[in-house]
Amino acid sequence: MRVSYEWLSSMVKLPKDPSVLVQEYTRTGTEVEAVETLGTNFDHIVTAKILKKEPHPDSDHLWVTLVDVGSANVNEHGEPEPLQIVCGAQNFEEGNCIVTALEGATLPGDIVIKKSKLRGVASCGMNCSARELGLSADHSGIMILPDDTPCGIPFGQFMGMSDTVLDCEITPNRPDCLSMIGMARETGAILHEDINIDLPVPTEVEKKAEDLVDVTIDDPELCQRYVARVVSGVKIGPSPDWLVKRVTAAGSRSINNVVDVTNYVMYLTGQPLHAFDLGKLEHDEQGKAHIVVRAAYDDEIITTLDGTERKLTHDMAVITDNGKTPVALAGVMGGQNSEIDDSTVDVLLESASFSHAHTSRTSRNLQLFSEAAMRFERTVDPEGCAIAADLAAALFADVCGGVVLAGRIDEYPVPWEPKTLVLRTERLRDMMGAPIDDEFCVESLERLGCKVKETTVAHIFSVVSPSYRPDLEREIDLYEEIVRLWGEGDIAPTIPAARNHSGGLTVEQARKRIVTQTLRSLGLNESLSYAFVPSDDLERLHMTEQGRGSVVELMHPMSSDWTVMRRTLIPGLLRSIGVNQRHGVQNVALYEVGRVYFGRPGHAQPREHEYVSGVLCGSWHEATWNSPSQPFDFFDIKGIVEALLNKLNIQKIRFRVPNIEEYGFTHPGQVAEVLSGGTVLGWLGQIHPQVTQEFEIDSKVFAFELDLEHILQLANNVAPYEEIPTLPAVSLDLALLVDEGVSAEKLEQVMKSAAGKNLETIRLFDIYRDAQKLGEGKKSMAFALTYRAQDHTLTSEEASALHAKVCDKVFRATGAQVRGE
Amino acid sequence: MSIHDELNGIRERALQQIALVHNLRELDDVRVAFAGKKGELTAVLRGMGALSQEERPLVGKLANEVRAQLEKALDDRKVVLEQEALTNQIASETVDITLPGRQLYPLGHQHLVNSIIEEIEDFFCGIGYRVVTGPHVETEYYNFTALNTPPDHPSRSARDTFYVVDDSCGADGSITTGVAGESNVLLRTQTSGVQVHTMESQKPPIYMICPGAVFRPDAADPCHLPQFHQVEGLVVDKGITFGDLKGTLDAFCKAMFGQDRATRYRPHFFPFTEPSCEVDISCGVCHGKGCRFCKNSGWLEILGCGMVDPNVLSMSGIDPEEYSGFAFGIGVERVACLRYDLPDLRMLVEGDMRFLRQF
Repeated sequence: MRVSYEWLSSMVKLPKDPSVLVQEYTRTGTEVEAVETLGTNFDHIVTAKILKKEPHPDSDHLWVTLVDVGSANVNEHGEPEPLQIVCGAQNFEEGNCIVTALEGATLPGDIVIKKSKLRGVASCGMNCSARELGLSADHSGIMILPDDTPCGIPFGQFMGMSDTVLDCEITPNRPDCLSMIGMARETGAILHEDINIDLPVPTEVEKKAEDLVDVTIDDPELCQRYVARVVSGVKIGPSPDWLVKRVTAAGSRSINNVVDVTNYVMYLTGQPLHAFDLGKLEHDEQGKAHIVVRAAYDDEIITTLDGTERKLTHDMAVITDNGKTPVALAGVMGGQNSEIDDSTVDVLLESASFSHAHTSRTSRNLQLFSEAAMRFERTVDPEGCAIAADLAAALFADVCGGVVLAGRIDEYPVPWEPKTLVLRTERLRDMMGAPIDDEFCVESLERLGCKVKETTVAHIFSVVSPSYRPDLEREIDLYEEIVRLWGEGDIAPTIPAARNHSGGLTVEQARKRIVTQTLRSLGLNESLSYAFVPSDDLERLHMTEQGRGSVVELMHPMSSDWTVMRRTLIPGLLRSIGVNQRHGVQNVALYEVGRVYFGRPGHAQPREHEYVSGVLCGSWHEATWNSPSQPFDFFDIKGIVEALLNKLNIQKIRFRVPNIEEYGFTHPGQVAEVLSGGTVLGWLGQIHPQVTQEFEIDSKVFAFELDLEHILQLANNVAPYEEIPTLPAVSLDLALLVDEGVSAEKLEQVMKSAAGKNLETIRLFDIYRDAQKLGEGKKSMAFALTYRAQDHTLTSEEASALHAKVCDKVFRATGAQVRGE
Repeated sequence: MSIHDELNGIRERALQQIALVHNLRELDDVRVAFAGKKGELTAVLRGMGALSQEERPLVGKLANEVRAQLEKALDDRKVVLEQEALTNQIASETVDITLPGRQLYPLGHQHLVNSIIEEIEDFFCGIGYRVVTGPHVETEYYNFTALNTPPDHPSRSARDTFYVVDDSCGADGSITTGVAGESNVLLRTQTSGVQVHTMESQKPPIYMICPGAVFRPDAADPCHLPQFHQVEGLVVDKGITFGDLKGTLDAFCKAMFGQDRATRYRPHFFPFTEPSCEVDISCGVCHGKGCRFCKNSGWLEILGCGMVDPNVLSMSGIDPEEYSGFAFGIGVERVACLRYDLPDLRMLVEGDMRFLRQF
């Protein structure tokens, strides 16, 4: 809402300095987004007087004038000095008051005024026509001002053009503030000033409006009130200066007198108006037109004023010509078929209160947003319709040369009823924690337009809120008004006592922090990506939908990159690797904790699950003088997952080769499912080279994705204490020659089962392959086994016997040959 | 040559050689050469049996003297040589301590958004709040209706809300809402819906915050992201005042931005709180004087808040005559921007390692 300071000051006494009002607005809840100063484009243009007029010695149409510009030009003693200006106009005499642009002025069209010589005669400025000043099309001569005009006054100031406009953000609960009258009332309440609003009333002719037109409202839900007036003999033409100035300050362009008047009334009262050409409506035998407000039919068509053909639905309201052809889309925009033009004689003026709900939906469904719709959406005061119609009619008569027909047609099926609220000021004080006295409460509400009465009980008042404040419908709404005017800043800060509650994270929340801390301590950086992704993400990833529910789709995606909700975090992380590589960052180690969304047919909402995923690409670092750079491999990602699960003390961790069919997105030889007992926690492995290529990554990517919720449930915060061994241990090595197909897990299982509880640890310290020495398809695996008994010192004989048993069992179970013996 | 002379000769030579050895190995050679099993001194001592009764004690005495002297000389020399060896070793092990330390894997960094969220969580946990979460894909009831947003409020339009295809009522979810492009299911536009879930499932006193992602259809640009983060706060208890709201948020702003920062409360409108306000903190660059960072206002908008609207309380089954409360919403990216003056919010979702490692 653009608030003209000059306009506002005609209704309420304002501080001299607009910035004082801006501060008060900010304090009381009207945000001023910008302060604009108008009239500054008349810099260096002043009122002046022709002292002397002589013919130019070298021209038959130019004049050399001596112009008094008052103190706008002074000599070295500081005394006013007239200027010599060469002028081509013929319409002036000595003694005329005029407008002069001084050196340094810029006229519309970027004409900069400089000292110059015209046919050899010095000229120190320019005497201006109205067109040169951008005020009208008049270029018949220079502007002649009244004879008593003082000289040297800035022209903007002289014309009253200078103004300050406060661009205010009006919150949706304050429809009243979308009008100058509403702003005046609000300002009066803030500044404790009375307001003065004086609206003209139309002088009516004898002819009755009701003989020319009647109005029917089909459904009061669509339109609470419809007021019409008829003005005859309207002439479309330019608007007078005062009207141009006000609608311009309010943010409109001046179009013509008819449009400007309707806009002016809307800006002043908040009531959107529409003017129909009455002659374009169908008339019955008595010469009467019939306006019918009804719901549109599905697929009914109207061409709105902007020339667009619009297809309507039954949820929209239309103004129709006798129930048939729509002539306006109620509250949103007029129709082209009833538009005012130069041949218009009788104007039908509409001032109505349309349903905010229907207008809002209509506007949204048609993507048609207008000043009128914006106001109806926020509710237009039905009680104000008649006043606005009268005001507009009076102005049509005054500005557009029409005559106002007698009477208004006023359909108001369900009149507004005032609501009485209770105001308990003690409760207000308790709830706000502020000593706001009763007197302040009463004054504030009254200045805002409420009627306040004392009741028989002290500190309890009865309050009737005005029709233009639909937001004041409950006691709390009154509190808000009082507190914001009193000043939220002045309320003393306190902190609630923690006497009945305790704070802190839940076990799972604390565990989640441990998960992310651990991943960071393992070298991964936390990343965040969008929850919405391209619809072909899973396909590009070669990931099956199995177990991931149905896809959750956005109805109106903003771009093809964001059309569905993600079902895995991996593509987001792959995209981040791509971003890094494009920026020349080759070593990438990222993790993300985030939601995935599994749709459930038949349910409105999907199942939301939290995953934790990580990716490695490149290496930890470039080679340095004492640390070679080692490219990431499968065991880097596995080590991270193992460390994480160990940190969380999750039991019975296993890694198994999965069903490769389900893992199209991974390297078939480098992928493992991660389990705790029988629960699959997720997977880890190398992303399939084809997939990395799809995501424009030019090196290997190792990744994991785990179900965070499983992990948090299975984590154990408190591990039981284990006795620290005091008895000596015996270490024996074991080198085994086995087939490639024999897994490390298998060998360890066999060793453990052979040795029993006295085998304390198994450490695999070497793997060696040599086709010539060991044979094709063979590998040598060297283990260090530590034996220790809990109850006595293990003798070397006992240890050797156990070791021999292990060798024997391993040989029998896997065909392994013991090497080096 | 008498055995006396022989012993004296051994002594002389041995002491001479001991003095000349350079290292422990040479010293050991000397020891072996004289005092070893086949050493010269040992040989002499073995030959003592051939001596006469008179000579034997005298020679024995001398031999013991020589042996003792020899052993002492060996020991002394050993100490010196060991000291020398250690000194040499230490000298040889001196390093250029300005060389960079061994490159282990670099430590990872927390995302700026999450680190701010944890900081906020820690502040509120410290004054008795719990942390709760809620669904991202929310029903319009929890995102709007239960928060007192009228059915035709503009914020419900598809221009301001991401609607999701409602799986419970066929492909065209808009059938039930009356406006094309809207359904009953949406990506939450605010974390405020969690207030309602909490009030429905928990009796007062309620002291909670809810951090999390929210979604609005804004094109990603330096100042906007279609997905960003909020921390919602809700207190419902007996006797909660507007002063409590101010005291809590004042303490929060000081904890997050510094004890020297002032706050300003500007009345505002939110459907689910009343009275509502926006909170500004004094600009940390100019300390309220006005500068480019605060657009010359001296203040920076930081959060929205208000007293819980009685409608919201009653809709969730709490009697607004008995209980009152306050709620607030903090924009996490906003806090990040105010702290670090980030030139472009999109850096937060790109995963650029050079950005992530700064925080």
